[in-house]
Amino acid sequence: MNASMLELVAVPLRAVRRAAFWWAAGLAGLVAMTMAVWPAFQGSSGISQAIDQLPAGVVQAFGLQGFGTPAGFLRGNLYDFFVPLLLAVAAVTLASGQIASEEAGGRLELYYAQPVDRRAVLMGRVIAVLVALTVISVVLLIVQLASDAAVDLRIDTAYVLSTIVLSALLGALHGSLAVAIAGLRARPSLVLSVGLGAAFAGLIVSSLFPLSSVLAPWRHLSPWDWAFGGNPLEQATEAWRYIALAVPAVVLTGIGMACVTRRDIASG
Amino acid sequence: MGKVEAVRGIDLEVQQGEVFGFLGPNGSGKSTTIRCLLGLLRPTAGRVSAFGLDSTRDGVAMRRRLAYVPGELRLPDRLSGMELVTSIGRLRGGFDPSRRDQLAERLRLDLHRHLRDLSTGNRRKVALLLAFLFDAELLVLDEPTNGLDPLMQHEFLGLVREARAAGATVFLSSHVLSEVQRAADRVAVLRAGRVVAQGTVAELRGRARQLVEVWFADDPPVLELKALSDVVDPVVDDHRFTATLSGSIQPLLGLLARHQVSAMLVEEPDLEEAFLDLYGGVA
Repeated sequence: MNASMLELVAVPLRAVRRAAFWWAAGLAGLVAMTMAVWPAFQGSSGISQAIDQLPAGVVQAFGLQGFGTPAGFLRGNLYDFFVPLLLAVAAVTLASGQIASEEAGGRLELYYAQPVDRRAVLMGRVIAVLVALTVISVVLLIVQLASDAAVDLRIDTAYVLSTIVLSALLGALHGSLAVAIAGLRARPSLVLSVGLGAAFAGLIVSSLFPLSSVLAPWRHLSPWDWAFGGNPLEQATEAWRYIALAVPAVVLTGIGMACVTRRDIASG
Repeated sequence: MGKVEAVRGIDLEVQQGEVFGFLGPNGSGKSTTIRCLLGLLRPTAGRVSAFGLDSTRDGVAMRRRLAYVPGELRLPDRLSGMELVTSIGRLRGGFDPSRRDQLAERLRLDLHRHLRDLSTGNRRKVALLLAFLFDAELLVLDEPTNGLDPLMQHEFLGLVREARAAGATVFLSSHVLSEVQRAADRVAVLRAGRVVAQGTVAELRGRARQLVEVWFADDPPVLELKALSDVVDPVVDDHRFTATLSGSIQPLLGLLARHQVSAMLVEEPDLEEAFLDLYGGVA
């Protein structure tokens, strides 16, 4: 990476560091508080019996299968819904903030007026958001593993790692969708609504479609299904699931870069 | 929202080493033209080029040779002035920290303060410092003195003259006529997206209306005076004649030569009058 590119990363990185800190702190707090109640669930037959009374569809939709087991507890409380969704929201809002909002506010004009390619300016911001997302995910992993050890939740570290990597990739995919939209139009409201809308829509497709025999086959359209359809907390994740998330993320980022070179820059 | 045609049919040629004034009221298309030059906007027709480079196709190479002060100044608030200048310096490469410090001192600018804490004028100084830092061949300055106090406006004109003396070309967009009058060699006036006048400051001034006042020793030749072409609003009051000349003064001088004139006053037109003439009827 040359000096110009480093500078194009450094400025947005400085801008996202505070947001990244709060996202990491929030997720760490969520994990720590959730894990604190594990000892009450561990070996409790009452909760498992209560869940068994619920309709099978509801149990599946809310990820309550095996809720009394370590994998079921983590899945139902954190990784079926909250953590991946929060990572997706973090990625979309950071990408929107650093690209669409900055351009719409006229603050990118100073950089676009320099002897640098527009794609380099955009790439600098994409890298900054990716670094922030990585830092958040690493903090999440550390807190998760430390909490597992602290409350004696016995689960394969490799499974936890792969679940968090899949969550981060799912977030990156939605962040890249935000990049593509921001490349097309510097309208923060559009970028946020498409990025967050896609995250929620994917979650609904993945969790509710299986309840209907007609819709069930369509759940595979959701990136959430690509990420977590293989139950990564209980078994090794197939390589194609990582690729299925990473490749569209790269393609969407490329689309954003191609689009930003072909349009007018907003003046704020 | 419909599409807005901001500029149309602009044909400007700026010579190397000159200060070119680009005049026009707000909304006349000055910033749009400049943003086309920088490759920030893509013209729907025609081309914008500098140094023989096309703004759309060779934008990076072109921008390497120019520096820009935006009219609507929006800087990254989280950075200090020093951080921003250093960052842009690294981005462009080859900037001289001693030149930075020298400019900051001339502009009386504290670069260590956060940009969000700076006044409009001081933020403008940061942008000016960035423009004059790199010895660019072409300085594109869009309303560069907005928010500057008179002392700093004077300092700015000094910087422009020094840049021109060093061989730089300056494209100075402004609606502040006095500033352009003092700094520019040639001027183009833009109205509603079209160039309505172009020439040297003297030429433009020559197109302005002149107020003429003549005192006759005997009775003024009223009919002859009123029959003169280019005489507007002639008023004869006893031995005193006043009028506005919208063209050459020669026919009037010819007439006066045949009469006894005791005194005559011709007010020198300034660029502002020329400017207002060009904008006559425009709100």
